[in-house]
Amino acid sequence: MVNLMFIIFAGVTVLGALGAILNRNTVNAAMSLLVCLAGVAGLFIQLDAFLLAFLLILVYAGAVVALFLFIIMLLDVKGSLGGLNRSMGTVATLVAVALMIAGVAAFLRHANLPSVETPMSVGVGSSLKAYAELLFTTYLLPVEVVGFLLLSAMLGVIALSRKLS
Amino acid sequence: MIQSSLFAYIGLSAVLFAIGFIGVLIRRNAIVIFMSLELMLIASTLALVAFSKYNQTMDGNVFVFFILTVAAAEVAVGLAIVVALFRQKQTIQVSELDSLKH
Amino acid sequence: MNPSTLALLLIVVPVGSAALTASFLRKKHALATLLSVLVATFYLGGALHLALGGARFESSYSWLKLANLSVDLGFKFDDLAALMLSIVGIVGFCVHIFSLGYMKEDPAKARYFAGLSIFMASMTGIVFADNLFMMFIFWELVGFSSFVLINHWHEQNGPMNASKKAFITNRVGDFGFLIGIILCYYLRGTVNLSELSAQAKAGGAVLSTAVPLLLFCGAVGKSAQLPLQVWLPDAMEGPTPVSALIHAATMVAAGIYMLCRIEVLMVPEALTVISWVGALTAVYAALCAIIQRDIKKVLAYSTLSQLGYMVTAFGLGSLTVHSESGAEIVIKAGVGAAMFHLTTHAFFKALLFLGSGSVIHGCHHEQDIFKMGGLSKTMKVTFLKFTIGVAAISGFPLLAGFFSKDAILFLAYSNNKAIFVILALTAAMTAFYMIRMWIIVFFGKARSDNAAHAHEGGFIFQAPLAILAILAIVGGYRGLYPHGFDGILNLVAEAEGPAKLGMLVVSLIVLSLGAGIAFALYRSVATLTQRDPLEAKFPKLFVSLVHLKESFDSLYSYYVEKVQQRFAMLLNFFDLLGIAGLLRIGAGAFSLLGFGVRALHVGRLNVYLYWFFFGVVLLWLYAAGIF
Repeated sequence: MVNLMFIIFAGVTVLGALGAILNRNTVNAAMSLLVCLAGVAGLFIQLDAFLLAFLLILVYAGAVVALFLFIIMLLDVKGSLGGLNRSMGTVATLVAVALMIAGVAAFLRHANLPSVETPMSVGVGSSLKAYAELLFTTYLLPVEVVGFLLLSAMLGVIALSRKLS
Repeated sequence: MIQSSLFAYIGLSAVLFAIGFIGVLIRRNAIVIFMSLELMLIASTLALVAFSKYNQTMDGNVFVFFILTVAAAEVAVGLAIVVALFRQKQTIQVSELDSLKH
Repeated sequence: MNPSTLALLLIVVPVGSAALTASFLRKKHALATLLSVLVATFYLGGALHLALGGARFESSYSWLKLANLSVDLGFKFDDLAALMLSIVGIVGFCVHIFSLGYMKEDPAKARYFAGLSIFMASMTGIVFADNLFMMFIFWELVGFSSFVLINHWHEQNGPMNASKKAFITNRVGDFGFLIGIILCYYLRGTVNLSELSAQAKAGGAVLSTAVPLLLFCGAVGKSAQLPLQVWLPDAMEGPTPVSALIHAATMVAAGIYMLCRIEVLMVPEALTVISWVGALTAVYAALCAIIQRDIKKVLAYSTLSQLGYMVTAFGLGSLTVHSESGAEIVIKAGVGAAMFHLTTHAFFKALLFLGSGSVIHGCHHEQDIFKMGGLSKTMKVTFLKFTIGVAAISGFPLLAGFFSKDAILFLAYSNNKAIFVILALTAAMTAFYMIRMWIIVFFGKARSDNAAHAHEGGFIFQAPLAILAILAIVGGYRGLYPHGFDGILNLVAEAEGPAKLGMLVVSLIVLSLGAGIAFALYRSVATLTQRDPLEAKFPKLFVSLVHLKESFDSLYSYYVEKVQQRFAMLLNFFDLLGIAGLLRIGAGAFSLLGFGVRALHVGRLNVYLYWFFFGVVLLWLYAAGIF
């Protein structure tokens, strides 16, 4: 059981992510994203953030990805079985990938993150009360702002989807 | 349960981020580009939660709330834009959306 | 009134009149004319008052101070300046009055009179200048006013080209002049004339041959010596009164005046060069004058010749004479002889030019002498005065030119026999061509309609001629001059004893030689056609003299076309390549930059992201400590 759960979920996540970006069929790509989200939710549970895990499934998987699928179905364009972007050029892509990997590696080496497995106590994030405490005291302002953001987003969407008469 | 190292989680988060970024770079379909964008956001939430657990605080977890909200709002607005664009141009391939080309 | 204030007024008032005319009175010809003539009258009065009233002073205002160099504007009013000022005043006044009649129908009278005023002011500046810088400033101003006046009828090509030629040729001489001034300042530490002569008296000053010769370059340009004499005959394109004032009496004499001023800087080698240049000019001009058809060109070449006389006289240097007390002293006879001849020349040359103006006006602007004739009967008064002028310049005894030329010949005989021979020959030629012109213009029968209907001008024409005729008669008697001019006129060396008789004989011989040949060649004047008998009888001589006249002009035009133009094109090419090229490289770099930046706007999302990613990578590398 040594890290086995972690490895499983991590693998699921990565495979899902790769599928999301590499799949020709757009719907398939959305499904892969779903799988990825499931993996991440599992990882959250391992990190004792149970509420967040379920929230992820509810909001992300349930709303966002659903919205994606909805739009994909709506814009049923034949040519949108998106192929890979040829205009970038293969060389540029490879260079980008290489740089990405190099960046990540360099970053990780310098990050001084402890690689020893430390036994920790049960995560603090397991109770709902803890969330509420922080949300309504320290982070009250961001909450209000985010509410405002949602309002403006809603207005924006309505404005955008009006047909000009 | 034996916990995994912080390094592993952060590494995974970084890898996810990288995958998401590459997806943005190489895909032509606007919607798939959005999905890769979401992938990047997910990666950042993972990192936040891992750090929060490591530091024994709640801040990281709470922040995920906000990220989630913002992500939702962003997706909504972005897709609305895509739909409007589709109405104009009948395409969502970003290689054909080049009216700003000099 | 304070003499120095009066002197300042003599410069400022003509400038003011010219400025006023140029700004406001351009179309009000009568008003401008009146103003200018009033100014000329004031000028004459002021000049004579200063010169004869015995005021001699020096004053100066410091104008520019740059470290050790101080450019002052000052007045040095001694006997030399007094003499020159009187000449300028008298001749200027006569010319102004004459112009009232001559330019009556001219449509641009106001501009003409403004030009005359500017000239008077600039010439006064040269006369009064107490240091070489100030003299140079007014030197250039005089050149400018000459340009304006020659170019009076600027609609035609002839005056335009002539004025440009005059200005450019003068400029060439002035370049040498300027270098000479700078060198003088460098070697002597001052350009103030009084200080220079004080240095010379005290002895031990650094003497150099270069400085006087370079300063002489200015005189070569302004007084039209070889090789820069090409502009003076062409300057006859200007109106005749202008030729009388500027190109006979005053401006061209400014070179001689300047030489007399810098006499303290002279060294024997420089003087030799100067005297030979003058002698060669005199001979060359006389040869060219023999074949001229235009009345003004004859007078122009004769001016050149007489200027050569003056320069030679100056260059012949000093002489040992017996003073009144019997002791032997060295006097600067060159300066004396040159200035004396300058004075008499001013009078009779102005008389001749204004007389020719009267003739031209009478013959309805006909200037070819072979189209005139028989004017002795139709223009009696002008004939009389013109004859006086011709006699004076030929050295007829008892008239002004006789005495001054005598002084020069005596000086030449004492100091340099070769030059004496040349000058004597030139005197003979002078008599020849002047009498030739006199015969052809006034005798025989009228050779064209214009001459047949010639008429005298009115009082306006005759009054100035009368004044100048009187001066041409009495101007030779030095005793008659006011004592104010003693400082200069006492420097004229007179022959004594047997030498005196010898000089008299020589003068008479050359006069009769020249006149005789002239009478012989042109005796059949009654049957003269419009062709020169000289050309008919001696065609080869005639042609060679014509070539002589044109040689300098063709040399210069060859140089300008083939050498200078090509050099200028080369410089133009380098300018386009280098300077414009440098600018274009700078501009090109920027447009390249702009091009590059513009190329980033491909309109494609992925490319933008790529660049964004590139920036992020750089930041990463920095964070990773690689940079």
